Amino acid sequence: MDFTFSDDQLSFRDALHAMLVGEVTTDRIRSRWDTDSGTDEALLQQIQAFGFGSMLVPESLDGLGLDLVDFVLLAEACGRAALPEPVVESAMVVTPLLVDVLDRGLGNGFVQEVLDGLIAGTTSVAVAHPINPCVNFAHRADWLLLEHGDELHLIHRDSTTLKSHKSVDPSRRLASVTFDPSSDTQIANGEAGAKLWRATLNRGALASAAQLLGLTQGIIDQCIQYSTDRHQFGRAIGVNQAVKHLMADVAVQLEYVKPVVYRAAYTAAVSPDRADFAVSHAKIAAARAAMLAARNSIQLHGAMGYTWECDLQIWVKRCWALAREWGDDGFHKNRMHEWLLRPNALLGPEFTFGRRSITDSVDVA
Amino acid sequence: MHLRFTAADEEFRAQVADWLSENLVGEFAAVRGRGGPGDEHCFVEERKAWEQRLAEGGWTCIGWPEAWGGRNASIEQQVIFNEEYARAGGPGRVGHIGETLMGPTLLAFGSDAQKKRYLPGIKSGRDLWCQGYSEPSAGSDLANVRTRAIFDEPSQRWRISGQKVWTSLAHESDYVFVIARTDPQQKSHKGLGFFLIAMDQPGVTVRPITQLTGTAEFNEVFFDDAVCSAEDIIGEPGDGWKVAMGLLGFERGVSTLGQQMLFQTELDEIIRIAKSNGSAQDPAIRQRIAEAHIGLRAMRFNSLRMLSGVADDASLGREAMIYKLYWSSWHRNLGKLAMDVLGPDAELLLDGPYELGRLQSLFLFTRADTIYGGTNQIQRNIIAERALGMPKEPRGTAT
Ligand SMILES: Cc1cc2nc3c(=O)[nH]c(=O)nc-3n(C[C@H](O)[C@H](O)[C@H](O)COP(=O)(O)OP(=O)(O)OC[C@H]3O[C@@H](n4cnc5c(N)ncnc54)[C@H](O)[C@@H]3O)c2cc1C
Repeated sequence: MDFTFSDDQLSFRDALHAMLVGEVTTDRIRSRWDTDSGTDEALLQQIQAFGFGSMLVPESLDGLGLDLVDFVLLAEACGRAALPEPVVESAMVVTPLLVDVLDRGLGNGFVQEVLDGLIAGTTSVAVAHPINPCVNFAHRADWLLLEHGDELHLIHRDSTTLKSHKSVDPSRRLASVTFDPSSDTQIANGEAGAKLWRATLNRGALASAAQLLGLTQGIIDQCIQYSTDRHQFGRAIGVNQAVKHLMADVAVQLEYVKPVVYRAAYTAAVSPDRADFAVSHAKIAAARAAMLAARNSIQLHGAMGYTWECDLQIWVKRCWALAREWGDDGFHKNRMHEWLLRPNALLGPEFTFGRRSITDSVDVA
Repeated sequence: MHLRFTAADEEFRAQVADWLSENLVGEFAAVRGRGGPGDEHCFVEERKAWEQRLAEGGWTCIGWPEAWGGRNASIEQQVIFNEEYARAGGPGRVGHIGETLMGPTLLAFGSDAQKKRYLPGIKSGRDLWCQGYSEPSAGSDLANVRTRAIFDEPSQRWRISGQKVWTSLAHESDYVFVIARTDPQQKSHKGLGFFLIAMDQPGVTVRPITQLTGTAEFNEVFFDDAVCSAEDIIGEPGDGWKVAMGLLGFERGVSTLGQQMLFQTELDEIIRIAKSNGSAQDPAIRQRIAEAHIGLRAMRFNSLRMLSGVADDASLGREAMIYKLYWSSWHRNLGKLAMDVLGPDAELLLDGPYELGRLQSLFLFTRADTIYGGTNQIQRNIIAERALGMPKEPRGTAT
């Protein structure tokens, strides 16, 4: 048992963080709000240079062959910077789905081509899971992965109808998608399709959870600064216990969420069919910490925290959005208690990290 | 103890309800349920006109003495008026700062001349007021105000210079009440004065501040040699703090009843949506709805308890201190409940560029409830130190 990340994993994260700190300034995030695309194409190239396109693609398919554990810290770094571009989802949800399709020998002529485009950074793809009412950045995707019952369809954006919706988070670009499913666009169905969608939900929830971890850290950073800079009663507001405790409470939650998210990444990487429980736990806990961070940080900033001008809103509104995306608290708690209350739930200490034998017929984490 | 409304009260209730149903029609049908915190930017002109219609019917300032145009209404009647007003969907009152804060302050501390000059405008719904307390360096530490008031002997007028911030509705107001430093030698709550200043003059500049909600309900207000007459200071120079605190006492008085009616309307709306979108099936949501309901009931009973038997509502005293913390925390939780009832749709706005739905506005505005009018942290300090008499936290010296 070892919860630590390798030096390589950590230094990769640090390098990405350093790049994002320099490139994803709040001014540049705000200037995206005024554009139709909402993205910074030059930055996307820089991120691509980190290998985001190929990281979670196996070597047999010309990728780097890394897994979700390698990627989870990068997703966290993107959250910490409140990065608007949907690169985490692209790498962590879309790409593995296409890989899964190929792995199972499914798909049509386009799948390989689309994956190659993702690896090269020349194609972008978005996925529409029915748990989300909308797809983020659907309008800039060349291809969409869409659901029709258990079927999975890969369809060019031009053949779909997009209806834009505004998000509470001005950095997001939402659209609802409608399309005509046909046998030409279908790349999986039946039991295989259902499995693919379930794995996608888990990777999506994990992607949100990891970004929420980073967002929470980003909020703590700003609050430490503000509580030092802002003076009332002749001294820094952070001197007051009531102010300090607002962030101490968040920090405690954050530390207790980290191992939960990392463990979920691990389970989703090594036994994706059994990751529901771990992922739901991660999503619940990360969203809870982020919601507390959002609430307490506005409070700590006083009226300033309630303004459009204050950059805090960039993080806070992302927390509100991601806390609900890929299943809200109620959805994931239901998944957990359904499992916990089964007569044959495996809860002993030997199951801390889930079931050891995959031949077991009970479906647990 | 006697927990009933009398027959006369019920008669009054019918009278209020009839008047409202006859008047909230035609040009005023559209303002039903609109305005109020988080929605102040809506139907402003219509709501200003409504204010005057209310006044014509004798339904503004009903608790004031008859000599000043009120009805001398009992607490019960004020409760009833607020209940019926909310039930009828009466819009958020643009005149509430004048009616519930400035008016009672004038009645309690103002001279006869000041009452004559200002009360009729409030009563008739013509003059709107805003509250100029906070400054960039005086938020929680309100006594740290730096706005200066200097008496100019030749013109016999006060000249005001400085900056206020977060001034709600300043952009719609005719007057602002301001605490300013009359004695620059004095620090903290000494050497302050309480001034009544007309907004429409060259020395006053209002700059809206956009909120998290994308709308602008509060403002920066700059005073650059703004003037008011020698008679426009309430009390003496040096009395400002006492008057300012007296005014905040009214904020926790009868005006709370109308607010609770608004809360009830919001909770009803949340329950309606929960039933229609299926989230009421979720046991966790059902429990939180029940929690919200009992929390609001308790709030209401306690307000009625606080108000009953107190002839002079400036002296609500110790109980009044707990009110702000209780309602703001309750309302914050209601905002969160509203979002959870909406589920995944909570993220989606009605329209661009940033048009929030009613429940989204509610949620966002409740994030400010725990800040304005004294933050929750400051309220807890007040309760612990002043109401309970626990040892005081060292405060540091204002700079
Ligand atoms: C929507 C809205 C409307 C408003 N309308 C008006 C208005 O019409 N007129 C007006 O005058 N003002 C208005 N205000 C201002 C409001 O009164 C102030 O925001 C409030 O007093 C807090 O001051 P601040 O924002 O400067 O926060 P700060 O005082 O800077 O406080 C920041 C944080 O530090 C904490 N803190 C500070 N000192 C202490 C301490 N000693 N102990 C413990 N914690 C402490 C606070 O609780 C808060 O969490 C409004 C504010 C809002 C948000």
